[in-house]
Amino acid sequence: MFLLDILRRSARSLLSAKARTILTAIAIAVGAFALTLTLGASNGARSYGDNLIKTNFDPTELIVSKDKSIFSNSDNSQPQVYNPSFGNITNGSGAVTQVQMLSNSDLARLSQTKGVSTVRPSISIALQYITRDGQRKYVATMEAYSAYKKPALLAGNIPTAIPQRSIILPEGFLQALGFSNAQSAIGQNVRVAVQKQVNQSSIISSLLSGNLDSLSKTSTQPTSTETVFKIIAVTQKPSSLIQPGTALYLYSSNADVVALNDYSTQGSANYHKYLTAYVQVKDGTNTTKLKATQARIIAEGYAAQSVIDTEKTLTQVINVLQGIVTVFGLIAVVASVFGVINTMYISVLQRTREIGLMKALGMHKKDVNKLFLFEAALIGFLGGFIGSMLGLITGTLLNPWISNKLSLGGAHLLQFNISQQVILILALMLIAIIAGLMPARKAAKLDPIEALRSE
Amino acid sequence: MITLDHITKTYGKDESAFNALNDISFSIEEGSTLAIIGKSGSGKSTLMHIMSGLDRPTRGKVVVSNIDVYKLKSRDIDNFRSEQISFIFQSFFVEANQTCYQNVMLPLEIAKVPMAKRKKLVMDALTAVELDNKVNKLASTLSGGQKQRLAIARAIVNKPKILFADEPTGNLDTSTGDKIIKLIFDLNKSLGTTIVLVTHDHDLARRCQTQIHLKDGRIDRTVGSKSVKPVKSGKAK
Repeated sequence: MFLLDILRRSARSLLSAKARTILTAIAIAVGAFALTLTLGASNGARSYGDNLIKTNFDPTELIVSKDKSIFSNSDNSQPQVYNPSFGNITNGSGAVTQVQMLSNSDLARLSQTKGVSTVRPSISIALQYITRDGQRKYVATMEAYSAYKKPALLAGNIPTAIPQRSIILPEGFLQALGFSNAQSAIGQNVRVAVQKQVNQSSIISSLLSGNLDSLSKTSTQPTSTETVFKIIAVTQKPSSLIQPGTALYLYSSNADVVALNDYSTQGSANYHKYLTAYVQVKDGTNTTKLKATQARIIAEGYAAQSVIDTEKTLTQVINVLQGIVTVFGLIAVVASVFGVINTMYISVLQRTREIGLMKALGMHKKDVNKLFLFEAALIGFLGGFIGSMLGLITGTLLNPWISNKLSLGGAHLLQFNISQQVILILALMLIAIIAGLMPARKAAKLDPIEALRSE
Repeated sequence: MITLDHITKTYGKDESAFNALNDISFSIEEGSTLAIIGKSGSGKSTLMHIMSGLDRPTRGKVVVSNIDVYKLKSRDIDNFRSEQISFIFQSFFVEANQTCYQNVMLPLEIAKVPMAKRKKLVMDALTAVELDNKVNKLASTLSGGQKQRLAIARAIVNKPKILFADEPTGNLDTSTGDKIIKLIFDLNKSLGTTIVLVTHDHDLARRCQTQIHLKDGRIDRTVGSKSVKPVKSGKAK
């Protein structure tokens, strides 16, 4: 028999038992539906992660730290030995750990490392406030501007070298600071206040020793300073793909940010200490050179992570989550396999005489086998197609709601890939074929004489 | 020429061994009509199965047009059946949920007849049994007589050399049965198809050129043995 004839007969057989075929296909469709959404979610999460990193981090830079625990999970279950040269960091739940901080000499050493172009400390300053004449004061965070970010501008422009005392204002502050529009803010001044970190240990020792003169001196020292910055550009509110919480970051030159940070930390343990630094690599787009420089920095006793490493870490997390959800989808598929086996056995039983007739008329065992395997494959296709389509429709309808709930901006969590869906359907067809192997073999082995005698 | 040489068919082994057929030998000319008659259990269906290449004999050989059928490989026996043999059964065995056209197409699909030739062959066969007006009707909508005519159309569509009819009128009333028998004998005359009729109806058997009466797996007697020739005795392989 020609394959086309076998395929047509299989399809006709399925059509003649519509209810049975559809119910079996639905069992497969449940698995296909779950797997479609899983694939969509993992695609979306991966794409979101990739874009988040690519749009926020310069791939030619390395993030360098003195403490390896910055890039990995440190063991917080045991008490940590205090080290006065270490800096303190607080995690999200408020637990304090100590890590080795980079000093200015470390930054200088990194600058001398072969392959390194520039080194800048990673500084985020929690400003006391930002304001302008006649306006209220607002809390804000300031960072050094990285040319890699290239934000969309509403007004002004950002020169390659940002002049001192210049500030890039996010759109979110326009109204708050009394500007009617972005253009009117350009060239205007704002005042940025930084608070000096209080040297708690000197206050406590003054209190404990009863040396109130000393305490008085400490408390009368100025604890904050205002600096005037000129607005040179206003950035548009990003629609998506920014680091969470950075939409209202103010950006200035590295020198200004370092100066404000020095003022803020002077006299504290964190003075001239940095958790991480951005190390720009010469010809960093060349992965080999990037990796070589990374290796040299690590060899000097630092921890260094590239954007690729960050992506890998993120991908690992996504893969684990994807694996967990995939298992649920696969369980549904495995359950549907038994449905296919059952359906195919019933089909063989119901068509015993038909099989007998076909074999009596000279149909080869292999063709009988194919007839039932095609039938199983068609059920697999039908189930896979229905499940995929339902998954695609559901995903498309749910995407706006999910994006809103997860604050993803314009990005969609569920992203579907047609070739993935085709592979999924083909895989389900293969699984259905495997499920149909035993019933098909039973059909192929039927004795035509016995089959024709059956009632 | 169709020759059966010392055909024996034994079921079971040792003490439980039972000979369904015992040393059956005869030959008939191609294009003739043969009736195999006997009571239930006489071995007539077993003989038909062995003659048609469906069931391998324990001993003996079947030669059709100089081809020793059971010396062929299993796949070639399938091909032999698809190209040279056809069947009509008492229970019709038409596929109820398929159209008349699709039912008649089956042997052509099995024999891998080129697609371009199929439609004409199917229509010719349906016209021969006067079902050309039911081409796209489901077989389930046909009457008993029409179903058997459909089975005949399916049996003759690939112009077989031998047509085996197993109690073809068993499920039909007398009038419809007569029409079916007439149709079968007309095919013998018009197409030269060898007809092997398995029946216990003596009146029907008498219409065949040759009648072989089976009793307990042996040839009890032959009637009108013009075309039945004795086979030289010899040890069967």
